[in-house]
Amino acid sequence: MNLRSISFRLVAWHAGLLTGIFLLLCASLYLDLRRFLENDLRASQLRRTRQIANTLLVHVKDSGEAAVARQTKDWYEPEANDRFIRITRADGTQIYISGAPKDGSFDPAEVPMLPQAQAAEFSRKVRLSGGNSLLIAALHFKSAGNPEYIVEFGSLLDPVDTMLNHLFLQLALGLPLAVITITAGGYLLVRRALSPVEQITRAAERITQYNLSERLPVSHTRDELERLSVSLNRMITRLDDAFQNSKRFVADASHDLRTPLTILRGELEILAEDSRLPAELRERAGSMLEEVLHLGKIVEQLFTLSRLDAGEAPSEWTCFDLGELAQTTAEQMSLLAEDKGISITCEAGQPTPVKANEVRFKQVVVNLLDNAIKYTPAKGAIHLRVATVNGHACLEVKDNGIGIAPENLPHIFERFYRVDATRSTNAESAGLGLAIVKSICTAHGAEVTVQSQLGAGSAFCVRVPLFKN
Amino acid sequence: MRILIVEDEKKVADILARGLKAERFAVDVCHDGQSGWESANTYNYDVIILDLMLPGLTGTEILERVRQKNSLVPILMLTARDGVADKIKHFESGADDYLTKPFAFAELLLRVKALLRRGPLNRSSLMRIGDLEIDRLSQNVKRAGKKIDLTAKEYSLLEYLATQPGRVFSRTMIIEHVWDQTFQGLTNIVDVYVRHLREKLDDGHPVKLLCTVRGVGYSLSDGSQP
Repeated sequence: MNLRSISFRLVAWHAGLLTGIFLLLCASLYLDLRRFLENDLRASQLRRTRQIANTLLVHVKDSGEAAVARQTKDWYEPEANDRFIRITRADGTQIYISGAPKDGSFDPAEVPMLPQAQAAEFSRKVRLSGGNSLLIAALHFKSAGNPEYIVEFGSLLDPVDTMLNHLFLQLALGLPLAVITITAGGYLLVRRALSPVEQITRAAERITQYNLSERLPVSHTRDELERLSVSLNRMITRLDDAFQNSKRFVADASHDLRTPLTILRGELEILAEDSRLPAELRERAGSMLEEVLHLGKIVEQLFTLSRLDAGEAPSEWTCFDLGELAQTTAEQMSLLAEDKGISITCEAGQPTPVKANEVRFKQVVVNLLDNAIKYTPAKGAIHLRVATVNGHACLEVKDNGIGIAPENLPHIFERFYRVDATRSTNAESAGLGLAIVKSICTAHGAEVTVQSQLGAGSAFCVRVPLFKN
Repeated sequence: MRILIVEDEKKVADILARGLKAERFAVDVCHDGQSGWESANTYNYDVIILDLMLPGLTGTEILERVRQKNSLVPILMLTARDGVADKIKHFESGADDYLTKPFAFAELLLRVKALLRRGPLNRSSLMRIGDLEIDRLSQNVKRAGKKIDLTAKEYSLLEYLATQPGRVFSRTMIIEHVWDQTFQGLTNIVDVYVRHLREKLDDGHPVKLLCTVRGVGYSLSDGSQP
């Protein structure tokens, strides 16, 4: 899992925040309820103590302490109700204490005496040896002519604790469930929210310099995503314009250079063949003529490229056998290789019918072989192989020449790219041969790839879909 | 023989006119479409060399008008465009030949002569240049009576050069005739073949028949031709 991804961070924040809020809510709910329940119990206990004081102890002078004790027992039946009642004179003499409750949950005798010097009304929690806790309210009762009494009224905290424990359990089980739900929901939400981004990415991946007229999908939601795709589309439009401009420039330049080249060539031809001129002058004219021809070749190649850029009609496509084409072309070029002491072998057994512009594909073979011959030293070997691979015709031109450095590999199909930055060697070529190969392949839905190792040789591979009737 | 050149680029027109006059043709030059059409309409030319892009009337329009007049004068189109679709369109409109700029003057001359049905196409089966004999039927080549073994490509190269002894053929012309246009960028293949041919042809003979004209190309000549 990518911890820095936007979806992970969004989900983590979302789940973390909600979990925090949930925890706080649960804690406050638990604590609040506990306080409320205890306060309620305390208030009712205090009411009872006041009741005992105000109805019974007020008349203690007339009725006597024993009567108060009896009446208290009759009225409140503490043993049956699991209550604790104790009436003590301020000097410590106990005048009434309730008996053990019927379920024996606590022993009243264990309840310690109230520490001295407390407020008039006082409440405390007492933990007994049986493990049970009692909440006990105490009242200091003073009335004129009577001794001071302390009335204590207590009851088990058990029901409150049970209830709170139950709540705690509920919350403790509910919280992880809630967190899981929140996380899963958050993940789905983020996925949904980011899915247009995914679409935009995929559409953007498809756009290359060859289909710049395509645009990204725009979701009309008037939000950031719409703005993102709209501004990306504007950027593609600007790129498209820039590309079109450069293509138009190449097309116009290669076209407009032809007339001056014709004039130069014509004039120089006249000079070079004029027998009245001294031989040295004619030699110079010839040298210039060579450069004009070289220039003409570059213009020709640029023109070919710009025509391929503009797109050619597939109406000129015919069905032919790529293997045969490769074989005849290799034969035609074998002398060129032999001249350098390079051997060319050709392996094309299977039938490989393709539908394409045959002249253009011959150009592909010629350019690849020419390149291989150029960059293979004497006594080298070039192997040409045509085979069918996964419904494709595969043309491979492999040499054991000087190879291409890894840093140059990604650029070799670019126009005017030269492996040697000085552009010194091979003044003959302009660095357009492989660009033309690439353009032809692209125009035919074919792909050209290269594998190379510096010093060990290169292998170019052209994959063309096979033609099926 | 009278030739009309309709070409708005004055320098191109000038080179063509000079070259053709040197070949003893009568040459008229027009620099725009309107005057070109008027000349073509007025005089009877033997060949019209027509540029495609002209001010006034375009080359295509002149071509169509000339053909509407039912004139059969051969027309050679000059163009800076060389799309196959363009070529087909103009051949359908009645052009007889087509040259893409920049071209070698020698090629233009060859094509003009072909259109005039005179000159280069020596169709006799036996060709002789000095002591070299080429039999086009049996494809046998002899020099000073001794048979020379040539490969098929070497033979086509030799035969092509022999069509016009003394004329310099550019590498591009040779490639177009002996190979095909996909080899256009590969003029060094011509050099390699010429070298092989020269070894077989000239080695051991005092008179060298295969000559190199730097920057221009190759010719086959025993020195007697102009």
